Amino acid sequence: MSRARTAAIQLLGPIALIVIVGLLGSASSGAHQIDFVNALVQTTIVIGMYIFIGNSGVISFGHISFVAIGAFVAGVLTIPSVVKPTLLPALFPLLANHSVSPFASLLIAAGAGALFALVIGAPLMRLGGLAAGIGTLAVLEITHNLLRYWEKIGPGARTLSLVPTTTTMRVATIGAVVSAVVAYGYQRTRAGRLLRATREDPAAAAGAGVRIHGQRLGAFVLSGAVAGLAGGLLVHALGSITTEQVYLDLTFVTLAMLVVGGMNSLWGAVVGALLISFLDTYLGYAENGLDLGLFRVNLPDGLSTVILGAIMLAILVLRPSGLTGGREFRIPGLRRRATPAQPDAEEEDGGAAPAAETSA
Amino acid sequence: MSEVATAVGLAVEGLEVAYGPVTVVRDLTLNVEPGEVVALVGANGAGKTTTLSAIMGLVPAKAGAIRLGDRSIAGFRPERVARAGIALVPEGRHLFPAMTVEENLKLGTIGRRSDDGLAEDRAWVEELFPAVRDFSGRRAGDLSGGQQQQVAIARALLARPDVLLLDEPSLGLAPKTVESVFEALTEIRRRGVTVLLVEQRAQLAIGFCDRTYVMAAGELRLTLTPKDAGDSARIVAAYFGS
Amino acid sequence: MSNVIQYIIDGIALGAVYALAAVGIALIFGVLRLVNFAYGELITIAAYVLAVTSNWWLPLSLLAAVASSVALAVLTDRVAFKRLREAPPATTLVATFALSFALEAVWRLVFGVNGRSADVLGALNTTAISGAIDVRWVTIVEVVVGAALLSAIAIFLRRSTIGLQMRAAASDIRTARTLGVRADRVILSAFVLSGVLAAVVAMLLTAGSPLVTPTLGLEVTTFALVGVVVGGMDNLVTATLGGFVVGFVNAVLGDALGADLRVFLSSFTYLAVILVLLLRPGGLFASRRATGAERV
Ligand SMILES: Nc1ncnc2c1ncn2[C@@H]1O[C@H](COP(=O)(O)OP(=O)(O)OP(=O)(O)O)[C@@H](O)[C@H]1O
Ligand SMILES: [Mg+2]
Repeated sequence: MSRARTAAIQLLGPIALIVIVGLLGSASSGAHQIDFVNALVQTTIVIGMYIFIGNSGVISFGHISFVAIGAFVAGVLTIPSVVKPTLLPALFPLLANHSVSPFASLLIAAGAGALFALVIGAPLMRLGGLAAGIGTLAVLEITHNLLRYWEKIGPGARTLSLVPTTTTMRVATIGAVVSAVVAYGYQRTRAGRLLRATREDPAAAAGAGVRIHGQRLGAFVLSGAVAGLAGGLLVHALGSITTEQVYLDLTFVTLAMLVVGGMNSLWGAVVGALLISFLDTYLGYAENGLDLGLFRVNLPDGLSTVILGAIMLAILVLRPSGLTGGREFRIPGLRRRATPAQPDAEEEDGGAAPAAETSA
Repeated sequence: MSEVATAVGLAVEGLEVAYGPVTVVRDLTLNVEPGEVVALVGANGAGKTTTLSAIMGLVPAKAGAIRLGDRSIAGFRPERVARAGIALVPEGRHLFPAMTVEENLKLGTIGRRSDDGLAEDRAWVEELFPAVRDFSGRRAGDLSGGQQQQVAIARALLARPDVLLLDEPSLGLAPKTVESVFEALTEIRRRGVTVLLVEQRAQLAIGFCDRTYVMAAGELRLTLTPKDAGDSARIVAAYFGS
Repeated sequence: MSNVIQYIIDGIALGAVYALAAVGIALIFGVLRLVNFAYGELITIAAYVLAVTSNWWLPLSLLAAVASSVALAVLTDRVAFKRLREAPPATTLVATFALSFALEAVWRLVFGVNGRSADVLGALNTTAISGAIDVRWVTIVEVVVGAALLSAIAIFLRRSTIGLQMRAAASDIRTARTLGVRADRVILSAFVLSGVLAAVVAMLLTAGSPLVTPTLGLEVTTFALVGVVVGGMDNLVTATLGGFVVGFVNAVLGDALGADLRVFLSSFTYLAVILVLLLRPGGLFASRRATGAERV
C-alpha cells in the first residue's frame, strides 16, 4: 500500500467519525443538539492538546489557558457594543470600542492562543518532564487568576453573557475537522516527525542535531492556535462563560480524554474525546432518569461522576496506552494483508525511528 | 574466620530471554559447581549482562530452568533471589551515591538469611577491601571508581551469598586495581563462595577461572579451561575480532 | 518591624503544613515515581472523618482520621496504582486524576456539596499572643507539629532499617531489590506513612478553619506538588524544603500584598514558580549533580 493511501486512511478515519457525530447531532432532537456541539468543541480542544502533547510526549497542564483566552477574546469582541459599558465597565478602550463578527472573532481567538503560546512557550519549552508540567500548570493558574480578577480585560468573576451563539452543529463540525486536518498535516511534516523522534529518544534526537526547543515551541504555538480556536467555538456555543468553566476541571477532563483515547495518535485524541464526552453527558442524564427502551435508569445525583472516573480508571488500568494503543486509524485487516512481512513501525505509534525519519 | 558450610552450585538450563520481540539469549546452558569460579566472556552485546539479570530475576526468562543447589529459582522476584542466596555486583556498580559507604554496606545485609557471623563477615570484607573501612562515613558517590567497586563487592559479600554474580568488576580500573580485585576473588573462592564472573579480559579470565564460557550473539559457543590459556587466547581474540 | 515578624510567623506556619504534605507526595514519588494527584483525597477523607466524629473523644477522633486516610492510601494502591507500575508516566498521572475526580464525587455524594464543619481542634483557633503581633494557638501548633513530625520522619528514614530501605528504593529500586529489599513492603510503608501525614495535614487545616469541602485536599496538594517540583523531587529533603518555601511565600505575600493586589496572590506565587523552574530546572535546592529536568 502506498504511503499516500495509508495517510489518507489515517486522516479519513478521525474525520469520518467527527462528521458522523455532526450528522447524528443534526438529526437529533433540539434539546440534545447542544451535547453534540459540546462534544465536537471538546474534541477540538483535545486535538489542540494532542498536537503538542502527543507529538512531543511532554505533558502540558496549560492548554486550557489558551482555550480560556480564546473564549474570552472571542466573547468580549462579539457581545453587542451597546451593552458593553454596562456589562464590562472597566474594559480597556481597545476592547471596549471594537467589535467584530463572530467568524473574525474565531480567527482572532486562534491568533491570540498562538501568540500567548509563543510568549510563554519561548522560555518554558526549555523544560521537560515534570518541570514542564508544573510550569504549564503555573501558566494556567496565572491565566485563571488574571481573568478572574482583572476587570480591564474581561468580566472578572462575573459571567460573560450575551455572546452570540453562532457555533452551530455545522460550525462545530467544521472546526473539529479543520483542527484534525491541521494536526495530521503537522505530524506528517518534517517538523512533526522530528518532534516525534525527540519524544521516542530525546538524547538520540538531540545527538542527531534536532533542536528540541525549537521543535517543541513550534508544536506548542500551533496547538495554542487550535486551542484558542476551540475556546472561540466554545464561547459561541454556550453564549456565556465564566472563568471557572475553563480551569482545572476542564484541564483534567480533556487530558483524561487524550490519554484514555491514546495520546500518541490523532485517532486516539478524537476517539477519547468523543467517548468520554458522550459518556459524561449520558451518565449525567441518567441521574434525571434515562429511558433505554427496555428499562429506565435512574442514578442518584452525583453518582455519574463517580462512574465516569471509575470507567476512565478502568480503561487506563486495562489499556495503559489508551483505547487505540496510540495507533492511527486503519481499516482492520487491510494493511496486514497488503504488507505481511513488514512490521509497521510507523503505524505502531505514528513515529518511526529517528534515523529513518531524518533521512526520509 | 568462620568455616563455610557446604558450598552451593548454580545451574542454568535452556535459558531464553527476550526484550520485547528481540531474543537476546537463547538456549543457554551453563553450570557452576559448588565452590567453582566460572567466567562468562563475550563481545559487547553478546548477552552476558542479560544472563545475569535473568538469574537475578531482574528480567523475566521466556524459557529455561535456573537452579540454586537443588532449589528452582526461576520466576522468583529479585528480592527473593537475593534472599535465596545469590548476590549480584552489577555492571556499573550501582552504589546508592547519596548514601554513605556505611549505609550501602548496611543495605548489603538486608538479604542475609541470618545475622549470625555478621561481625566476622564485616571484619573479613574490611580486610579484603580497606577502602570500606577507610571511607565508611563518606558519600559513596564521592569515591573513586576503584573504591566504589570495592564497596560494591563488599556490599554483595555482606549478604553472605552462596553464589556471587560479578558483572565486569574490572571495567575502567587501573591494572593495579584490577589485580587487587582478582586477589580478592582468590580469597572469596577460598571461602567457598561460588562465583560466576562476567569479564571482558578473556586471557585474565581463562587463566584464573575453573572454566570459561565464551558467549556470542546470545549463545554459548565454547568452553575453555586454564589448560587452554596460552592457546585459547588466540581463539578468543579471533572471536572478538581483535 | 512587628509586621515583618508577623509575616515570618505566618509564613513558617503555612510552610510547615505544606512541607508535611510535600513529604507525603515525595515519599510516593521517590519509591514509585508516581505523581499522585489523588494525594489530596487522603487529606479530604481525614478531614471529613474529623467532621463526622467531632463529638467523639478527641484522641479517638484523631485516630479515626489517621485510620481512614491510611486505609484509603493503601486501597488506592491496591485497586489502581499497583496495576499501573509498568504503565507510561502520562497514564499513571491521568489515572491519579481520574481517581481524584471520582473520589471527589464520592465526597459530594456522601457528605453533600456545602461542606461540613470539623470543629475537633477548634479550641486552637484562639489567640495565644496579641498586641504588636497576633499569634493564634493553631499557628504555634502548626509550627511545633510540623517541626516535630519532620524530624521524626528524618530520624525514621536515617536510623530505622525500613527507613534505610525506603531511601534505597527511592534512589534505585532495581538495585535495592537485588539486595533483598522487598519492594511490596517498602511501597506499603510509603503509602502508610503518606496516609499518616495526610491525616495530620487535615488536622492542622481544620484547626485553622473547620470548613471541610470536597476540594479541600486538592488545593493543598496542588501547592504542595508545585513545591515538591520547585524544591527538587529526586530528594526528600529538597522536596520538603520546596513545600515549605511555597507555603511560606504564599503566606508572606498574602500578608504583605495590599488589599487591591491580594486577589492576584496566586499570580505572584506562580510567577515565582516559573522563574525558579527556568533558572533551576532540577530544583531550587538540588545539588549541581542532580539535573532532574527530564522526567515523566
Ligand atoms: N533493557 C533492554 N531493552 C532492550 N534491549 C536490551 C536491553 N538490555 C540489553 N538489550 C540488548 O540485549 C543485547 C544483550 O545485551 P547485554 O547487556 O546482555 O550484553 P553484554 O554481553 O552484557 O554486553 P556488554 O559487554 O557491552 O556489557 C544487546 O543487543 C542489547 O542491546
Ligand atoms: Mg554487560
